[in-house]
Amino acid sequence: MSNAVRNRPQGDVLMETVDLVRDYPDGNVRALQGVRFVVRRGEYVAIMGQSGSGKSTLLNLLGGLDHPTSGEVRFDGRPLADFPSLDAYRSSQIGFVFQSFYLLPTLNAIQNVQVPMFETSVRPADRARRAAELLGLVGMTKRATHRPHQLSVGERQRVAIARALANDPGLLLADEPTGALDSRTGDAILELFDKLHRELGMTLIVVTHSEAVAAAAERVFWMRDGQETHGPDHLHSSSTR
Amino acid sequence: MWFSTFLILNLFRRRARSLLTMAGMAIAIGTTVALLGIAESFEQSTVQSFAERGVDIVVLEKGVLDQLSCDLHTEYGDRIRDLPGVAGVAPGLLELVDYSHTGTVMSVLLQGWEPGTFLLEGLVKEKGRLFDEMDKGVVLLGTNLADVLKKDVGDVIEIQRKQFEVIGVVKSFNFFENGCAFLPLAELQELMGRSDSVTGFSVRLDPKAGSDITVEGVRQEIEELTDDTGVTLGMSAVATQDYANQSMHIRVVRAMAWAMSLIALVVGAVGTLNTMLMSVVERIKEISILRAIGWKRGRIAWMILGECFLLSLVGALLGTIGAAALLKWLAYYPMTRTFIQGDLPPIVILKGLALASAVALFGGGYPAWRATRLTPVEGLSHE
Repeated sequence: MSNAVRNRPQGDVLMETVDLVRDYPDGNVRALQGVRFVVRRGEYVAIMGQSGSGKSTLLNLLGGLDHPTSGEVRFDGRPLADFPSLDAYRSSQIGFVFQSFYLLPTLNAIQNVQVPMFETSVRPADRARRAAELLGLVGMTKRATHRPHQLSVGERQRVAIARALANDPGLLLADEPTGALDSRTGDAILELFDKLHRELGMTLIVVTHSEAVAAAAERVFWMRDGQETHGPDHLHSSSTR
Repeated sequence: MWFSTFLILNLFRRRARSLLTMAGMAIAIGTTVALLGIAESFEQSTVQSFAERGVDIVVLEKGVLDQLSCDLHTEYGDRIRDLPGVAGVAPGLLELVDYSHTGTVMSVLLQGWEPGTFLLEGLVKEKGRLFDEMDKGVVLLGTNLADVLKKDVGDVIEIQRKQFEVIGVVKSFNFFENGCAFLPLAELQELMGRSDSVTGFSVRLDPKAGSDITVEGVRQEIEELTDDTGVTLGMSAVATQDYANQSMHIRVVRAMAWAMSLIALVVGAVGTLNTMLMSVVERIKEISILRAIGWKRGRIAWMILGECFLLSLVGALLGTIGAAALLKWLAYYPMTRTFIQGDLPPIVILKGLALASAVALFGGGYPAWRATRLTPVEGLSHE
């Protein structure tokens, strides 16, 4: 295994939310209704629920993309409000993987992986070296100089995962990472997540509709109507695999 | 990968649009540089024509904006010459006449100077000789004018329906004078029906004069000279180094160059603004992704402004090269070569680059601000 991502200590609470509420006044909608969510370091958690259940809203708040109406998000015991900025939090602690990859079309794979590093003090030569290591980690070394349109969708997602790991984040957040992939390619991505989790101790939170993705996770956090539920049809409980 | 590499690659995304924006900027900056280059050359050349001859003060008619319309009596020169500290006074009559040449009418500047005047020190004989007190019906041609008219020593040219013999071809250190014809002052006064009239005086001060003699002091004394009845002679005296800022000709040329440049620059800036605004709107999702992966607002602004600066500066460089080529061509074209110098002063090139930067700031400022206002969430949900 490459040393592009360091091994991490396991067990203590990495991320938690306290009475998290998110209202959208324009639509008069309460997307989250006092959610309490805890993730331990090194855990692999899937967030599941139907469309409109609030899972993506929760992911946005965990990733510092949005602000809660009330309640608090804590990373490593520290409220996000205590970070110098949410930009800095996202840049240093979070890696995002999106359903549609969102690679920059003018850049090749190795250049795409370097994009998050512009916000760090890493020198250009070191950026390229680290990006090459990360592409090796996701099995894309031979495709490093290909641009997104020259890659298959599975390869694009691999590059997007390498990009998410660029700044050695403490937490990987993935929003429907296999949603745009066929089942075989999706399985390969899940294998990659498993590798990151088991071999490197990476903490992963994956929002998904897919039973297969949920099955790959250690634990499933079910949501319905902006609240945690026991399972697909039950309220007020947590399910552990 | 360097950040600059990232910006350059971004510009390749819409190649045709980037090229058209660069072309627009090249035309805007090229026009500006060419016009300012002509104005700057004219200004430098005019000041040089006095400064190189050791002229300390230029005297014109007070309140008359156009030097060609100045009307001062030749005798005023004697009054100036009598002032303490004045070493020499050279009257001059400047006229602009139409000259018919190979079926086209061109404008030619005529300089009327006294034989033996220190103004002639700036002319080097290429062929023939200079005029003296005894000469009648003679003319000296500047090298450029002689070349355009294809006239040589011994040839005859007709000016204002009177024939003159070319007795010399002269080269001046001053570009514009190479496109002039030089006649004895009395000859030109008679030709133009302006007996005893000149358009100005060039005044040299005595370098050995005491410290109580200053340019400013003599300048004021000239302006205060009066006739027998106590009425001022109506002369405006200007120190040579201040002439460029006070000469109406130079100010008009400068103002016209800036006015036309401004129009070109506004067009260039609006084109850039449009391109960058479209670029931001097209990339809302992409910018949101960059924000999501941790890019700060400042870096987003730098990305947009950086792309804009690259477009503007490459456009400016192309425009400057085009302007230099255009001036070189105009300097060889018969109709323009007598008053357009082929060189582009470095200060004008720097002004062009500075203006391109200002245009980039204007054209990219608002799009950059718009881009930084995007939040990751609103961009990610944007379709």
